[in-house]
Amino acid sequence: MSKVGLLMPGVADRPEGLRELRLHGRLTFFNGPVYWVVVAVVVAFALALPSFGSTFLISNLTSFYLNLPLTLGLALLWGYAGILSFGQMAFFSIAGYSYAVLAINFGGGSWTLLAATLAVAVGMVVAAAFGYFVFFGRVSGLIAPVLTFVLTLILETFLGQTAGPEWKIGSAPLGGYNGMTNIPSVEIAGMTFNGLTAPLYYLVVLISLAIFLGMRVVANRRVGHVLAAIQIDVERCELLGHDVRIYQLWVFVIAAGAASLSGVLYVSWGNYITPANAGMLAATLPVLWVAVGGRASFTAVVLSTVGLQFASNWLAAFGGQYSLLLMGALLLLTMMFAPGGLVVGLIGALRARFS
Amino acid sequence: MDGIIANIVYQFAVNWAFLALAALGLIVILGMIDIINLAHGEFIMLGAYTTALLVHAGVPFFLTIPLAMVAVGLFGVLTERLIIRRFYDNKLIALVATFGLSLILSQGVFLILGPFLPAVRMPFGGFKYGGYSFSTYYSILPIVALCAMAAMWLLFYKTRLGIEMRATMQNPEMARALGVRTSRIYAITFGVGSALAGLTGAVYAPTTSIVPLFGAEFIAPAFIVVVIGGGMDPLLGTATSAFFLAVVSTPLSYTVSDFAGRIGLLTAALVIMRILPKGFSYYLHRPMRSLRALAGMRM
Amino acid sequence: MFDRESTTQAAANTKADPPAQPSQPAATRRRLLQGAVAAGITASSLAVFSRSVQAKSTEPIKIGLLEDQSGNIALYALPKLHAAQLAIKEINDGFTLISGPTGFGGTAAPDGAYKGGFYKEAEDVLVPSGDKGIMGRQLTFYAPDTQSDNRKFQELGRRLILQDKVDVIFGADASSEREALRPIIDQTKTLYFYANQYEGGVADKYTFCTGAVPEQQIIPVMQYMIPKFGKRIYILAADYNFGQLSASWTKVMAPILGGEVVAEEFIPLSVSDFTATIARVQKVKPDWLMMFITGQNHGNYYPQANAAHARFPMASSITLAQGYEHKRFAPPALAGMHSAVSYMEEIATPRNKKFVERFHKMFPHEPYIQQEANATYAAVHLYAAAARLAGSVDRAAVTEVLESGIGVEAPSGWLFMDPATHHTSEYIRIARAGEDHSISFVTQWPSLEPWWLRRLGVNLVSKPEFKQYTPQDDPRFRKA
Repeated sequence: MSKVGLLMPGVADRPEGLRELRLHGRLTFFNGPVYWVVVAVVVAFALALPSFGSTFLISNLTSFYLNLPLTLGLALLWGYAGILSFGQMAFFSIAGYSYAVLAINFGGGSWTLLAATLAVAVGMVVAAAFGYFVFFGRVSGLIAPVLTFVLTLILETFLGQTAGPEWKIGSAPLGGYNGMTNIPSVEIAGMTFNGLTAPLYYLVVLISLAIFLGMRVVANRRVGHVLAAIQIDVERCELLGHDVRIYQLWVFVIAAGAASLSGVLYVSWGNYITPANAGMLAATLPVLWVAVGGRASFTAVVLSTVGLQFASNWLAAFGGQYSLLLMGALLLLTMMFAPGGLVVGLIGALRARFS
Repeated sequence: MDGIIANIVYQFAVNWAFLALAALGLIVILGMIDIINLAHGEFIMLGAYTTALLVHAGVPFFLTIPLAMVAVGLFGVLTERLIIRRFYDNKLIALVATFGLSLILSQGVFLILGPFLPAVRMPFGGFKYGGYSFSTYYSILPIVALCAMAAMWLLFYKTRLGIEMRATMQNPEMARALGVRTSRIYAITFGVGSALAGLTGAVYAPTTSIVPLFGAEFIAPAFIVVVIGGGMDPLLGTATSAFFLAVVSTPLSYTVSDFAGRIGLLTAALVIMRILPKGFSYYLHRPMRSLRALAGMRM
Repeated sequence: MFDRESTTQAAANTKADPPAQPSQPAATRRRLLQGAVAAGITASSLAVFSRSVQAKSTEPIKIGLLEDQSGNIALYALPKLHAAQLAIKEINDGFTLISGPTGFGGTAAPDGAYKGGFYKEAEDVLVPSGDKGIMGRQLTFYAPDTQSDNRKFQELGRRLILQDKVDVIFGADASSEREALRPIIDQTKTLYFYANQYEGGVADKYTFCTGAVPEQQIIPVMQYMIPKFGKRIYILAADYNFGQLSASWTKVMAPILGGEVVAEEFIPLSVSDFTATIARVQKVKPDWLMMFITGQNHGNYYPQANAAHARFPMASSITLAQGYEHKRFAPPALAGMHSAVSYMEEIATPRNKKFVERFHKMFPHEPYIQQEANATYAAVHLYAAAARLAGSVDRAAVTEVLESGIGVEAPSGWLFMDPATHHTSEYIRIARAGEDHSISFVTQWPSLEPWWLRRLGVNLVSKPEFKQYTPQDDPRFRKA
């Protein structure tokens, strides 16, 4: 395989593919003109919202939307390539912490953009190193999730014991379990992207949209077909001449990059990050969101990521102690009766009825 | 000097017992029916709660251990029948579903029984040797772990049920063709694994406070043991990987710090994973079998 | 950054406002608070402080309670939530804790009689306020479940402030939860009470702390332990912020108090097996152990050490009073534990017995009323008293009263809100757990001040700040 092929499998094999975008095709669940009209209306509505929504709504929606890159990455990783990962929150945290350390040391201002870029790169590099062990070790499909789970828990343990003065990088103390506070928000051209104002909202919506479309392109291109083939049968895929390990590593790093982006946006939103972002519950939540919507459909994942956070927030505010119980029940019942996800299951059933 | 050696042996044995008991139920289920039960920690918690409730109702502690095993075992059978059974063709989904189950169990216990139950008093006292004192109860935990493994070995290799279980594990279709009721075997296997989790919960109940997140401390060690043990041969895998991990972490915890011990454990796990990705049991299983064949033993 | 902006804003407020409380005769206000004078006079004599209240005078006052009702911290946070609910009910029913701007010493003795150096204890500190609610406005509370999840604190904090528009927030247990909340508190300039014992150092114009800090707990317990058991101290601390900072307090204070730290050990929160630790302690054979271990896993130390017959006298600033370990573990696991506590349910004063009775009447199934419940209960009553004095629930107006030298008679004793640092003085007792886990109080300090932030030059009245100081900011700690 060529060098380009290493960086982005599938591209080198089909250079003409660069010219066509392939926003829809056989490997995306939702297609067709009606669908795109609905998407356009939803995006337009989302972009218009700050002009009439309350500060609270905008701030809260920003917090929900900023998880979209992370869950879309997980959808590609799990729904397409068949690799279940509990590690997305680990890369989220690594990038969040990296951004915090860099932004504090740079002293905020427009340097924060560089900090954000470097932070995402750090997340992807760590993912590449970890992914090398997992995929080049040819760990079985059932053990890989366990390893990502362990990775996340180690990260939490490590970050938790950094309260001492020796854990100070430049002028930024890592802060142990209390985490890091007073982190500057991302600032571009004098505009501050913090959690109480509209700019961050727009930024998050646009980034999520870009990643959503990008993921659809990846899925419908050759690389998406190979990933889907790997999920179905690894051996057969290798016999066809694909180096499965490289594809797996690549998709793992891409997903980690998306998660890293979420991490940076989260820090810019709340000016705060703690090891609990890599804790047991935090690590499993994205899996819950993706599973309930439908892991093999980006649209379903967007709906469930936002919808379930709304539900969880609402339940926490009004359901008191029952919220975790209800989330657990929802997950269990979805997996039992619509293992492909609620949205996918529902639309699939409707389609079957009307076709 | 005697004291120091005794102390290191004691610590090693206690470590090993913890790792082995944390993982045994999980690895039996993984090895036999290829399901990872993310609610494993909550099954352990149910064992501890059963013991605590019975002890507070006046049942002698040692009698509560088999009762906890039976209770959690039956709960496991029920779980398999109602939930796990649906997922044999998509095992990753089982992992997600059991996570949902774990949320329900820990939060349900919290809502029904409150934030904690009063502790169970630890039986026996301690003994002194070479200037150090040791806990008698902790000293018998490795023996408990060994007994549990011996019982599993007898079950797997010396009973008809065990043969049917191993047959189902190796080739379900063939087993079915030969008249084994594999669906029943799956339920029993899941029940046995759950009962082992119940045992772990019961025997560790006196060592800590009884809270809904009781199982959380067992989860990460159990997973590490399972990852490097592998599911090829559950008993061999658990025993050897717990042994290896205890060998690495005990001296580090003792001489440096518990944090060093923990980091050592994880580093060792990563290295082993890269060298022996299928786990200890895969690489040990065959040599053992050829050894037995050489000695003229019947497998 | 929002910090700078809000600093100037707050400074401007301070300048524009009329001179603060102390010019008012203290006695008048005390009488007011004890309900002797009707609410009408309150309004007229304190008219300077009433701003925009009249417009919505019949609307209920909204109290935000952010406590973990599920998850691993619920064990510690549920009694706090219930304590706040009890206080709100009492305020609505027309009661208040005795309160007033009388400084560190506390309020005057009820009949002027002094006994044993201190005034005779009042039979009960809950008295009629002559006011149903605050200035006739009932209190309602919003109590979403934060699920022991920092992120829920960020989101639900925003919900309470921006959506429900609460007038004040009480809550957060772990320091990480408080730090999750503080950015939004500061950005929106919301009044916030943190009622937990913690590692100290928060200097925030909008935050008021009613829990004990290291100088109020670690020094007293060392002062008691060193002459009694000996100078050789072994520190066992959880490897996180609270454990590490408490350990450095112990190390810095040991030479001054005649002690010597012979070993210290930090244990990750995830460790639950203490065999190696117990062996090391047995090898060193200290005179006593300073315990800063915490959390569910670390609780295992006590039964394990006890089973191994590794029994040493123990001291702590967190055990017993926060996680009620003496109720949760089977005796004699905690025998010989000495803890500096700001409150425990077992305190045998008449006022506390009345409080415990009221608490259990409202929450019959409460397993234990711990020190944070006392701190929360006192904080809610203190807030109501201050708002009543301010004649308004406006943040700046209430803050001025809270910075006027006001205090409150809590079930534990007198809590004085230090204007400069926004921390309270505490009534500290050394609680000792016996073989059967019965609690005895072996000595006490009726009014210990929170002095460390003042030593660093913090004065939130003249110089508003929004940060948390660490021992690294103190030259004495840097040297050690």
